[in-house]
Amino acid sequence: MKNFMSVPLLGVMAFGSAALAEGPVDVSNVNSELIETAEDTEYTIATVVKVDGIAWFDRMREGVEQFAEDTGHDTYMVGPSQADAAAQVQMIENLIAQGVDAITVVPFSVEAVEPVLKKARDQGIVVISHEASNIQNADYDIEAFDNFAYGQNLMKVLGEAMGGEGKYVATVGSLTSKSQMEWIDGAVAYQEENFPDMTLAMDRLETYDDANQDYTKLKEAFTAQSDITGIVGGPMPTSAGAGRMITESGLEGQVHFAGTGLVSVAGEYLENGAVEYIQFWDPAVAGYAMNMLAVAALEGRQDQIQAGLNLGLEGYEDLTAPDESAPHKLYGAGWVGVTSENMGEYDF
Amino acid sequence: MSQRNPAWWKSTEAMVAGILLIAMVLIGLVNPAFWSLDNLFSLARSNVVIGIMALGVLLIMISGGIDVSFPAFAVAAMYLVVRAMVDYELEGIVWPFLAATLIGAALGLVNAGLVHKLNMIPLIVTLGTAAMARGLLNGVVGTSNVNINKFPDSLIEVGKADLVTLTNAKGGTFGLTATVLVYLGLALMVHLVLSRTMIGRSVYAYGASPEAAKRVGFRTGRTLIFAYVTAGALAGFAGLLHSSMIWMANPRDFVGWELDVIAAVVLGGASIFGGRGSVLGTMLGVFILVMIKNSLILMGIDTTWQRVVVGLMLIAAVALTALRDRKAIV
Repeated sequence: MKNFMSVPLLGVMAFGSAALAEGPVDVSNVNSELIETAEDTEYTIATVVKVDGIAWFDRMREGVEQFAEDTGHDTYMVGPSQADAAAQVQMIENLIAQGVDAITVVPFSVEAVEPVLKKARDQGIVVISHEASNIQNADYDIEAFDNFAYGQNLMKVLGEAMGGEGKYVATVGSLTSKSQMEWIDGAVAYQEENFPDMTLAMDRLETYDDANQDYTKLKEAFTAQSDITGIVGGPMPTSAGAGRMITESGLEGQVHFAGTGLVSVAGEYLENGAVEYIQFWDPAVAGYAMNMLAVAALEGRQDQIQAGLNLGLEGYEDLTAPDESAPHKLYGAGWVGVTSENMGEYDF
Repeated sequence: MSQRNPAWWKSTEAMVAGILLIAMVLIGLVNPAFWSLDNLFSLARSNVVIGIMALGVLLIMISGGIDVSFPAFAVAAMYLVVRAMVDYELEGIVWPFLAATLIGAALGLVNAGLVHKLNMIPLIVTLGTAAMARGLLNGVVGTSNVNINKFPDSLIEVGKADLVTLTNAKGGTFGLTATVLVYLGLALMVHLVLSRTMIGRSVYAYGASPEAAKRVGFRTGRTLIFAYVTAGALAGFAGLLHSSMIWMANPRDFVGWELDVIAAVVLGGASIFGGRGSVLGTMLGVFILVMIKNSLILMGIDTTWQRVVVGLMLIAAVALTALRDRKAIV
């Protein structure tokens, strides 16, 4: 009975301190019931990301650290200094040896981490993944959104900017990057259905997540077919590469761009009009959501973690599990669209 | 070296130039847009940074060594300078480039010391210094990109400077970057040093036979220091130039450039065993490599096939020079 009483109380206290904590994640409506724990329970939860030190994962770290402040659990983020599948596997090995309670992971290569994640689960460690919808060895996978819908939204914006006609090109970081390929699948499908007068000019350009490659390939594509007027960008650096190409060529307003991007990377180009629309999801919120699921799973609330769950975080209010054969894969609707109008709200 | 062959058309340079011309005609036939000024200017632009790095690698390869550390030195020099400019709100053009060059040179001196004093194999030395330079940079200084919103304006001006600016049919503008002049100037300097000075000749002598060079009286320690320090300095300079041309500084840039640059230098007729190579050949080699890589979309080659095509073309070009070498020996 004592436990029963103290749990909600602690939940309220956690919630109270959450509202006070200065963090990037809006937790005013957070589902605190889901993550409430007994008073003396303190879980150690490590978040392993693809690569440490880039703006994207700096932002995710803020979310992870805010979770620690809000809840009192020992949560932290680690990642290799270079995007390297083997280094990430090694880090997870180390975490297993340290005996953490849960691992949340954004895998660089899903195939590469499967064996080590299986090992973690065999030892009773809860595994939550993100950006890994094809993963097998995880308790839950949480995606910020359905990849197809994300791409559809990019094309909706691009198609309207192009007036529903003309040629466009699409970029992906790598042809083996599943999520980016699915975004572009979604974009192309939306175009075919809603903008029949538009055409995809050529095969997807592969740009290795490097803004300079984006610039070079786009420049070449525009030389090869000078009547291209639209770019739909999968990888985040395309927003910088395309922005530079459009700025340098003085094609603002003639060539339209809609793609993944961050304000810190493409803000300058949003301001000068070279880039009209960027879209992203907030990695801080994703990091927070992963940690919430980890605590919920550690507390044995598996019955709650399913379609319809409301985490109380923006974009994660009504999780869906569209794949019936894999009910542990949960999707939010957590993308954020940014134009020159609202770019001031995002400082990362 | 052209002096060794009696007729100029049998020289390596003529052969590489021939391959280049054939490739250009073929690409032009597939897509005439290749010959547009816009495209040629943008090709010239893509040559600058990789070309300056290749000049340094050329020196080391003539000396019989190999260098895989220059991309790491380039990124270290570039990121340290840009980071300092951003953090201390400094502007300027001359001193940042000077600083980047000096950082590169200092790192090159480490290579030279290890190769000369400890008599270590250059490949192993440069692999080690490369890993350390990158590791220290990312571990101590940081791993965050400096994006355009914080990138120093004075450097952007350098990257934006054009020799001529033209307008294309669409109303957009394009220009020939002024950095091409920097590249040509550096190439001329390296050429003159290699062919007209004692230190330059000593690099060839050391590469052909270190023992013989020592016996005829070259101070080979100085030769090695010259080669590695110059290569480091060129890499540092090229690194900062690269970031000013792309308006951002990425502390993980230049990964995988080792292979491209070494391939270009070998393509240009430098011998991997030392003692042979020329600036003109290297510049042509760089141009071939850059042109092939930047014309795949133009030729309409599927993204999935692009890497295969690059590999095939490189093997074909290097095989031709290898055939020439075999004939030369006979």
